Amino acid sequence: MFEYLFDAIRDGILAPVVAMVAPAGYESYTLYTLETLVKILAILIPLLLSVLYLTYAERRIIGLIQCRIGPNRVGFFGRRVWGLGQPIADAVKLLFKEIIIPTGANKRLFIIAPLLSVAPSLAAWAVVPFDDTLVLADINAGLLYILALTSLAVYGVIIAGWASNSKYAFLGAMRSAAQIVAYEIAMGFALVCVLIAAGSLNLGEIISSQSGSILHWFWLPLLPIFLVYFISGVAETNRAPFDVAEGESEIVAGFHVEYGGMAFSIFFMAEYANMILISVLTAVLFCGGWLSPFQGLPLIGAIPYISEPSILWLLIKTSVFLFLFLWFRATFPRYRYDQIMRLGWKVFLPITIVWIVVIAGMVVARVPPWFS
Amino acid sequence: MLENYLPILIFLVVGLGLGVVLFALGYFLGPHRPDSEKQSPYECGFEAFEDARMQFDVRYYLVAILFIIFDLEIAFFFPWAIALREIGMVGFWAMMLFLAVLVIGFIYEWRKGALEWE
Amino acid sequence: MVALYQVMAIYHFGRRGVCLYGGGYVEQERKTKNWKLKMLEQVVFYIFGAVLVTSAGMVVTVRNPVHAALFLVLAFFCSAAIWLLLQAEFLAIVLVLVYVGAVMVLFLFVVMMLNINLAPLREGFAGFLPVGLFVAALMLTAMGLIVSSDHVLPGLPPAAAQPPIDAANTELLGKTLFTEYLYPFEIAGAILLVAIIAAISLTMRKPAAQRTPKPEKQVVVKRDTRVRLVNMESASPPEKGDSGGLSQRSQGGKQGDNSD
Repeated sequence: MFEYLFDAIRDGILAPVVAMVAPAGYESYTLYTLETLVKILAILIPLLLSVLYLTYAERRIIGLIQCRIGPNRVGFFGRRVWGLGQPIADAVKLLFKEIIIPTGANKRLFIIAPLLSVAPSLAAWAVVPFDDTLVLADINAGLLYILALTSLAVYGVIIAGWASNSKYAFLGAMRSAAQIVAYEIAMGFALVCVLIAAGSLNLGEIISSQSGSILHWFWLPLLPIFLVYFISGVAETNRAPFDVAEGESEIVAGFHVEYGGMAFSIFFMAEYANMILISVLTAVLFCGGWLSPFQGLPLIGAIPYISEPSILWLLIKTSVFLFLFLWFRATFPRYRYDQIMRLGWKVFLPITIVWIVVIAGMVVARVPPWFS
Repeated sequence: MLENYLPILIFLVVGLGLGVVLFALGYFLGPHRPDSEKQSPYECGFEAFEDARMQFDVRYYLVAILFIIFDLEIAFFFPWAIALREIGMVGFWAMMLFLAVLVIGFIYEWRKGALEWE
Repeated sequence: MVALYQVMAIYHFGRRGVCLYGGGYVEQERKTKNWKLKMLEQVVFYIFGAVLVTSAGMVVTVRNPVHAALFLVLAFFCSAAIWLLLQAEFLAIVLVLVYVGAVMVLFLFVVMMLNINLAPLREGFAGFLPVGLFVAALMLTAMGLIVSSDHVLPGLPPAAAQPPIDAANTELLGKTLFTEYLYPFEIAGAILLVAIIAAISLTMRKPAAQRTPKPEKQVVVKRDTRVRLVNMESASPPEKGDSGGLSQRSQGGKQGDNSD
């Protein structure tokens, strides 16, 4: 469905424009670049809207969990539609706030840091498969690319903390760097387990190797890894209960304490885009991505549409994991720093190493129904 | 290869560009009323003292070094995981030997208290 | 200098259609691709090559060590992009993963936290000029030899025997690494073990006074091992009047404790 849409946009809108504007001999380049840009926007705009409304959902859901109301005033055209105008009002407010650059700060790095944090968290979306054919860059080493890009996230944090020349910022940056580093190991080994089970680095192929039924999805043979991966994802994004890098009751706001206005919201955007990315990846790697949970079931599996793969299933699964992110924040108190490091190095790492052996043994022995 | 990775390159540029545009919008739309108090580093109402960039515990370096080593091991695991179905038992046991050596290092690290934080 | 060398070598291999991955150099058929894509490839190559050489130069010349480290990151990133142009997909991404994502993080940690003043280190800078010139001349010679020779690496299998380029890079690498190069691989494992031990013995100063709480012990604690409740007669009977309310309240508290 979507590829027809993109083809129509290319042939109907872009091609005539390119034929008129582009210099002779360069039409195919221009057309290709414009087509890619359209596809990128088709990913970015929904993503940014989701980021915007994830902040709203976070406040409403945590409000409900804590028996509060949450934002419910700002609406559209004089009507309160459950406060749905709130994130837009927030964005506009942030846009008109002053960006303060402290005198002691390293000015260039201070400005570069938010850019370094947002670019990888957006670019990782290039390889996410939304549908059987709907993927921007169908590269062979998709999973490796994602791991490499998530390892770049640490730069924005370290540079922001160092360039601010403020003690809170520096403390927060160092804490979060050591924490991200610890959980990235667990995450890397968890991804190795997925690879062993799937036998491919391409995210689309990882999903298709899970097809069959809900029991064929990798959450079952990789159950401990599934938990380890999701919890490491929460820790990697510096979300509660692992948010010692921000720790507003101890170090105020951590690495971005000196940032205000739009500079702050770029960090904020990166954090929320990363949250959504982790949720999508958990759905793709462990819960069958776009596959239907009713596939292969005796009665309900025979109904058309409901047992067929579709992008809607991916969106539903992603929302469930996003809800878990918010639920964690509402429920758990913040971990102490030594507990965080202990969990990453002494609990998750041994679990993943043991499970690599288990799953590799299962693959080599061709244990049915997953690896027969 | 280029045709596969060109969209990614463009995406990286677009991501950076989005950041730059947002930053510039905030910079030009927001007010500029600097004063020395506002631009001093935030320190909960105290006057800022000393340089903020202090020396840190050596354990942070240790964590970073251990991270590099484990990251390298992960890089070895990736091609093995992909090729496991084809290299069969030999490849499996070869990696088990490698993993055993890694686990020895990990146990050493644990017993030495390199993973302890207070 | 190293970066320049790398660029020259890579460019040379790339232009002659030789590609680098896994266990060897593979001749690559590019006749099927149209020349336009090839031109685009060259444009991308020149952009990344220029950025790589510039940033490598900046690493040596900028004053601020943090800036130097960040320029090194940029240099690694550009060489990863150039490796990608050579179809070395796995190696390129691993370069980003290991060097940019791990090694440079350590560099930044060290540079930021030690807060070194580089001015005294720079004083004898010009004294190293002869050595530098010698190394530069050596590398130029090596480069010239590579560029001018027809046999890049003797003893390589003929190109036709190699698998096609579009096959999954990582998988081929895995097959080669775990069959032909098994022994070096295990040695790499042993070297990593040595690295772990060396890192720990170099940086661990003291056997860390252990005051860490042990959650696994904390959870299994029973109330009886920590608290003992004793029923005691009060020393003197409570007086009637204004203090009566107080004693009643405290008795109520006690009863509540016992019933828990």
